[in-house]
Amino acid sequence: MRTFLGVLLALAIGALLWWGMQTKDERSELPSALAGRPAPGFDLELLPSSRASWGDRLDLSDFLGKKPIILNFWASWCYPACYEEAPVLETAWRRYRDRVMFVGVNTQDEIDKAEKFVSRFNLTFPNVYDPRGKVGIDYGMYGVPETFAISADGRVLGRHAGSIDAGKLDSMIREVLP
Amino acid sequence: MKKWLLFLALSLGLAAAQTVGNEPPPDLPPQVFEIAKKLRCPVCRGESAAESSAGVTEEMRRQIAEMLAAGKSEDEIIQYFVDRYTEWILYEPPKRGLGLLVWMAPVIGLSLFGFGLLSYLRAAARRAAELEGVSDEELARAESELDSGAREEAP
Repeated sequence: MRTFLGVLLALAIGALLWWGMQTKDERSELPSALAGRPAPGFDLELLPSSRASWGDRLDLSDFLGKKPIILNFWASWCYPACYEEAPVLETAWRRYRDRVMFVGVNTQDEIDKAEKFVSRFNLTFPNVYDPRGKVGIDYGMYGVPETFAISADGRVLGRHAGSIDAGKLDSMIREVLP
Repeated sequence: MKKWLLFLALSLGLAAAQTVGNEPPPDLPPQVFEIAKKLRCPVCRGESAAESSAGVTEEMRRQIAEMLAAGKSEDEIIQYFVDRYTEWILYEPPKRGLGLLVWMAPVIGLSLFGFGLLSYLRAAARRAAELEGVSDEELARAESELDSGAREEAP
């Protein structure tokens, strides 16, 4: 009995050590506090490159509850993750733009550097400028890049932390499409 | 004289640099850092929102300052971040549910260790008592048995 308890204790300590040594990115596994709740609105200045097509400012409430939205937080200093996902987002936007609204939130960045990023990937969906990163906190963002899927009725359905690939983005879009 | 002045200037500069690193920036009241200490930095490992220099924690501290200025209480401010990040954002786990287990872990560990140590010491004391309780007669019989065994084994 004593030997059995000793082995059990050793196994428990070993399992605890193994669990503690796991270095996986816990951010991607955390659920969004907003899941199923109404998406927070914002009214922000657009990056100069977005103004010709979208005006000076973008008020998310103009789209919330009217169309599904893919909301992507990014920054020019977020390398390589944001650089990897930018072409994926632009391709998906061109494919789904009639049915899904894409909005980029440039976070804690400098306008010049953000503009270089936009022109490098030829981004055509609207990108707002949030130098303080206030909207990121409203969405409970852990760090750029992060992508949120918002349903046509304006609720947050899903969140992806880290660089998003075509497969994951496609499944998020299919989830929000009515 | 010039050397002394240079030494004095360098010493004062070093002292100033050390105090700057340990004190909150002058534009935010210390209460902001007291609240930020209770919140995790979302992009760091093992750092609170008070000590991290990440951009997101700068904004968190700024929002705390704004909410304090607007008359919000500490509990309301902490709840604001919990509403956005879940209880994960709390630097210290809440003392209930799984969080309570984390708080109790050292006590449970120490109790298990104490129990193991006590069991071992009791068993050792029992063995010693058993040895002390052996009579001279029994010892003499055991010795004779050993002697006879040794004689039988001898060629």
